[in-house]
Amino acid sequence: MENSNMYIISVYSENQVGLLSSISNIFTRRGINIESLTVFPSEFPGIHHFTFRAITTERAAQQVVGFIEKKVEVVKAFCFPDNSTSAAEHGIMEEYLQNRNQ
Amino acid sequence: MGQRLTGAEILLESLIAEGVDTVFGYPGGSIITVYDKLYSYQDRLKHILVRHEQGAIHAAQGYARATGRPGVVIVTSGPGATNVITGVADAMVDSTPVIVIAGQVGNASLGTDAFQETDVVGMTGPIDKWTYQIRRPEDVAPAVAKAFHIASTGRPGPVVLDFTKDAQVGVGWFEYEKCDHIRSYALPAPADEAALDAAAELIDNAERPFVVFGQGVVISHAEEQLKAFLKKGGIPAASTMLGLSALPSDFPYYVGMAGMHGNVASNMMTQKCDVLIAVGMRFSDRVTGTPSHYAPNAKVIHIDVDRTEIGKIIPVDVGILGDAAEVLERLTAKIKFSFHDEWAASARRYDAVEKAKVAAPETAPDQGPINMGEVVSKVAELSGRKAIIVTDVGQNQLMGARYSRFADTRSFISSGGLGTMGFGLPAAIGAKVGEPGRQVCLFVGDGGIQMTIQELGTIMQEGTAVKIIILNNNWLGNVRQWQELFFGERYSQTRLLNPDYSLIAKAYGIRYRCVSERRELDEAIREMLDAKEAYILDAHVVEMGMVYPMVPGGRRLDEILLNKDEWYRDGE
Ligand SMILES: Cc1ncc(C[n+]2csc(CCOP(=O)(O)OP(=O)(O)O)c2C)c(N)n1
Repeated sequence: MENSNMYIISVYSENQVGLLSSISNIFTRRGINIESLTVFPSEFPGIHHFTFRAITTERAAQQVVGFIEKKVEVVKAFCFPDNSTSAAEHGIMEEYLQNRNQ
Repeated sequence: MGQRLTGAEILLESLIAEGVDTVFGYPGGSIITVYDKLYSYQDRLKHILVRHEQGAIHAAQGYARATGRPGVVIVTSGPGATNVITGVADAMVDSTPVIVIAGQVGNASLGTDAFQETDVVGMTGPIDKWTYQIRRPEDVAPAVAKAFHIASTGRPGPVVLDFTKDAQVGVGWFEYEKCDHIRSYALPAPADEAALDAAAELIDNAERPFVVFGQGVVISHAEEQLKAFLKKGGIPAASTMLGLSALPSDFPYYVGMAGMHGNVASNMMTQKCDVLIAVGMRFSDRVTGTPSHYAPNAKVIHIDVDRTEIGKIIPVDVGILGDAAEVLERLTAKIKFSFHDEWAASARRYDAVEKAKVAAPETAPDQGPINMGEVVSKVAELSGRKAIIVTDVGQNQLMGARYSRFADTRSFISSGGLGTMGFGLPAAIGAKVGEPGRQVCLFVGDGGIQMTIQELGTIMQEGTAVKIIILNNNWLGNVRQWQELFFGERYSQTRLLNPDYSLIAKAYGIRYRCVSERRELDEAIREMLDAKEAYILDAHVVEMGMVYPMVPGGRRLDEILLNKDEWYRDGE
C-alpha cells in the first residue's frame, strides 16, 4: 500500500457557477475527504485560486489533478505534499496564460 | 450587423449556424417558447418527437456515432432533464458528442423548488464534459458556440445547456461567431517528439508487437493511418468493442475483439506480446481482465488524447498524448519495415480452436433451436457486411459484437462503458436518421427492448426504416448466464414473461415476422433486409444460450472458458 499524506491541491480556474461543486465531487467520488478549502481571486485577472487540503496517496492526488484539469474552466491544477510550497506554480501559470491569451 | 431576436430564436439560429438540421426532443412548459419558435423553423430544422426523453438522448448518441456530427437534444426542465441523465452519463464514458438543451424555470424562481425546477447544473456537472446555465438572451449564442466546440473536440463528450425561461423569452442582439478558443481549454497539441522516438525504438526492437485499438481511432478518423502503421510494422491488432469496424473484419493484420467475450487470439496475444501499443482505448476492466496480470510480458505504449487515461489503469513505458491520426502518421514514418510473420500467424492457430469449439457450433449448428450467434452471422452475410449494426446490452450485444462482420467504419454502435439497457432501439433510430442511405440493423434482447419500447411510436410517426431483430430467449439472458455459471443456477428474477410482440408490432403499424425454425431463417432475414420500411424480426432463439469464450471477472486474459466445463489450454 502507498502511504497517505496530507496533500495540497491547488487549482486555478475561471470562476463559474457550479464549478466548485463539480471539483469537490472529484474528491468525493474517490472517497477522499477534503480537510480544508479556500477560494480567493488569484493574482491573475479573472482567475480564481482554489486550494484543497486532503489526506491521500501521491497517485490518487495526481489522478485527482488530472480529472480537475479536465474540467473546461480549469486553467491549471497542481498538487504537492503539504510540507512544501511550489514556487514553480506562479511561473507556470504566467507562461501558460501568456501563450493562451494572445 | 446582428439582429434583435428572442433567446429562443437565437438558440435555433445558432444551431443552424453550426450546421444542425435535425434535433431530437420532447416539449414541456419550461421549453415551450423554444417549441413555439421552432414552429417557424420547420423547413430548416427537423425535429424528431420521441416518446421519452431517454429515447431522445440515445437517438442523438446513435446519430452522433453514425455520422460523427454532434447529436442535439431539446427537453423541458425537471423530469425532462432528469430523464436524459442516463444518456448523458453514457455519452460521457463512450466519448460521444451530444448537446442537450434543457429548459429551466425563470431566473427569479431558481432555487425555490418552483414547479419542475431541478438542479440540472449540480446533477449533470459531475457526469458531463461541460454544463452551463444560460440566464440572459445575449449569452445564448456564445454558449451554443462553446458547447459545440467543447462537445466535438479533444475527447468528445456530452454538454448540457440549462436554458432559463428569462433567456428564452428575453430579446438580445444575435450575431453568430463560432468558437475555436477557450482560455482554459487547450486542444490536443502535436505529440511529443521524444515520446514518439521512444515508442518507435520499442516497436523496432519488438519480436512480438501487438496493437489494441479503441473508438479513439474512429473518433479521430485514423482508420487509414492505423492500416498503414500495421502494414509497415507487420503488427497484428485487436479491437475493443467500441473500436469494432474501424478496420474491415477481413483486414490481414486484424485478429478480432479483445476482452471478456473477445476472441481467443486477441486475448492470448495480449498476454504473450512483448510490446503492446494501445491506441485510443482506455483499458476498461471488460478489456483487461485483472489489470495486474494484463500483458505481463509487454512494454506498454499508450496513445490517447485524454491525459487522465494514460497510466490510469495500466502503467505505461511510453505515454503519447495526442490525436490518434496525427500520432500514428508520425509513428509510421519513424518505424522500420518489419515482418513478424510467425507471430502474426499464431492468430490462425487460436482461431482454429475457437472456431471448432465455439464459433462453428454457435453459428452453424445442424439441429436444435436457432442460436443467437447464428442470427447475427446470417445478418452479416446477407447484408453484405454493409449494415450499421446497433445493439442493446446483454447477450444480444456480445453476440452482435462477436459475429457481425464489417466492411466500413462507423458500423458498430453499442453502449460500452455504461452498458445501458434500453440504448439500442433509440440509438438505431438516431443512426438511421443520420445515415438514411444505410441499412441499420438492431440486435436487442426481449428484456432490453422493453426498457425503451415506447420508441416504436417514434418509428411509426417518422417512418424510420430500422430493422429490429429481437433475440428472444425469454430470459434476462446475460444475467442468467452469470447465475448459471457463478451462482449455482439460482435464476433469481431473470425469467421474463413477454408480451406478444406481434400484437405490439401491429399496434404500432410495424411489419413483423416471427421465426423459430432454422429452415425459415434465411428467407426471413432476406425479407427483413429487403423491406423499405421498419421491420421487427422476432427470432425465437435457444432459451439457455451462452456467450463464449468468456474470461470470468477477476481472471487473467488467458484464463478462458470455452464452455461450461472447459478452459482453453494453450498449445493444443
Ligand atoms: C439499465 C440496465 N439495467 C440492468 C442492467 C443489467 N443487465 C445487463 S445484461 C441484462 C440482461 C439483458 O437481458 P435481455 O435484454 O433479454 O438481453 P439478453 O442478454 O437476453 O440478450 C441485465 C439485466 C443493465 N445493463 N442496464
